[in-house]
Amino acid sequence: MDETVAEYIRRTVLKIPRGEIKSMLQKWGFLSEAQLQTINFHQMKDNVSQEVVHLCEENSVDIKQAAVLDIIYNHIYPNKRMWSVYQMQKTGEEPEIFDLQSFKKKFKRRLLSALGNVTINFREYEDNAIWIRVAWGTPYTKPNQYKPSYVVYHSQTPYVFISTSVFKSNLPLLCQALVVASSYRDIREMELRSHSLNSLKDIVFKRYSQYFQTHCPRPIQDRSEEPESADLRIIRENKSEKERIQRVTREIFGDGPQPQLEFAQYKLETMFKSDPTMEVLDKKEPFRCLVKFSSPHLLESLRSLAPAGMADAPLSPLLTCITEKARNNFKIKEKKSSFPEGFVSP
Amino acid sequence: GVFTHLEKLEAQAHEAGRRQEERQQQEEKLASLKERVEELRMQRDELRAKVDLQHKKQSGKEGIVSDAAEPSAGAVLEWKIRSIKGMLQIFYLTGISGKLTKRGVCFSISTAYEGTYLGSYYLDLLTKPAVRIHRHSLPIFIPLEQISRRYLQTDIRRFLSVLSDHLNAYAGRKYQADQLQEHFSDQLEGSLQRNSLCNLLVFNYKMPSEGKTFPFSARLIYRDLCCSLPTEVIVSCTVKAPESLEETAAAHSELFRHTALHKAFCTFSSAEKKVD
Repeated sequence: MDETVAEYIRRTVLKIPRGEIKSMLQKWGFLSEAQLQTINFHQMKDNVSQEVVHLCEENSVDIKQAAVLDIIYNHIYPNKRMWSVYQMQKTGEEPEIFDLQSFKKKFKRRLLSALGNVTINFREYEDNAIWIRVAWGTPYTKPNQYKPSYVVYHSQTPYVFISTSVFKSNLPLLCQALVVASSYRDIREMELRSHSLNSLKDIVFKRYSQYFQTHCPRPIQDRSEEPESADLRIIRENKSEKERIQRVTREIFGDGPQPQLEFAQYKLETMFKSDPTMEVLDKKEPFRCLVKFSSPHLLESLRSLAPAGMADAPLSPLLTCITEKARNNFKIKEKKSSFPEGFVSP
Repeated sequence: GVFTHLEKLEAQAHEAGRRQEERQQQEEKLASLKERVEELRMQRDELRAKVDLQHKKQSGKEGIVSDAAEPSAGAVLEWKIRSIKGMLQIFYLTGISGKLTKRGVCFSISTAYEGTYLGSYYLDLLTKPAVRIHRHSLPIFIPLEQISRRYLQTDIRRFLSVLSDHLNAYAGRKYQADQLQEHFSDQLEGSLQRNSLCNLLVFNYKMPSEGKTFPFSARLIYRDLCCSLPTEVIVSCTVKAPESLEETAAAHSELFRHTALHKAFCTFSSAEKKVD
């Protein structure tokens, strides 16, 4: 068996947390249950991975089968990668019946004809997600299995989630293959990036909580409402203001949990406005400035700003339009009119 | 040393915080239940007052009716509000309802399949200067752009009705597929392959016949997105099987064309029980 395959499996197993190794190997299904019983999963991970490699050698594993284990690992831990969202444009025809086999064939054919040395794996999941793993090589070298690109595609949607390896040069080819395989016209990168794949899906598939005015009575949960009858001597001075803030916040963010984003970036190309007597900037040039908001959970922290008293409600539309516009990377230019506000470029 | 001590304190604080949260939640629940009790008591009192009034009128007491027997203006208002809410609830249950907003209308479309209520979807429309969609919660694979291009500007009723058909059909197809997976997984071989719109289903299933089980392969295509029954069904035997099974395959094909998927499987298992 190829030494590189053995090494690849060994390293992949080492990545997996010890408690998960057995279940992941079971999901992989390459080793039989009997073989798995022979492994002692309580010893040091180094030894566990060696045993796994031995058993794989007995079953003569090849690189494509080893790659499946990598997909399984990344499917369970997608948040270790940075994902970007791409949108495809349709030709405007009636929706065809999506044929998975035809998609896979066209995709493989495109890549293999352009670049001989690639390893391509597909895996379908229950939620209609198709995971594609591509390991890139060159006409002269074998594919580098340690820096694969991952693509997640839900059929009949125009969105693709791509986590690329370092080789950005392969990106156009990957995009082309996707467009051809899914019968779309072209593809463009959206300004939306995050480690949380599910949150990106929530945003573009509109699965996040939005507020809609309806007549249907929905249960309203008053979280921090203290009972009025606690002590009649205590009066909440700004009760109406607090209620207004709660109402406005709910109208903007809805009731449920927000998708998880790590940052929002605003590139300002606006003019610096200062007192003319100060003469800070002689030249009438845009003041180049980059504002970045970072947080483990940006949208939840934005939601709690106004109720915590740290910002006015309603928040600036530049912050609240993130999920609506499905982007967290903005360029703000000067608006060519009398309004002093910046203009968000599309 | 110090660190372990700090860690211990942190853990204690965490634990205390968690317990307090639990307590708070229970108190909230209690408060809302108490409110409900109050509401119901008020309703009961009003109804009692009305009944009394009726009795008094019937027994011919034409005397001065005291204020206590007549429902107060506040109670009447409450009753009116409740009956309007009831009306709105009824409209909501019919499937399409709307509410005027500051800048337009917000529609909610509810889906159901044969008596089971499934999800609701919302559309926030702006009406000035032209009718357009501001926000929505529709799944991305529903061809909203297409439908709105055709009908939104010209015939909003048609737009809503077409959209509702799409959503209800999708919800119906998904429901059938989910039911099949949930209740008949023992008859399915392998996994049920579907796509986002649930308009292409591919699965293998087995039918016990004379003690042996014969695997069938089914491919259901729903070309009409407004319909929850397939337009094309291909059922074939995966192995070379006797003539009788070819007939069964054809029969199944017809059955799937006209009956909901999970109901079709129901008839299989009941037919099998009859044979046994």
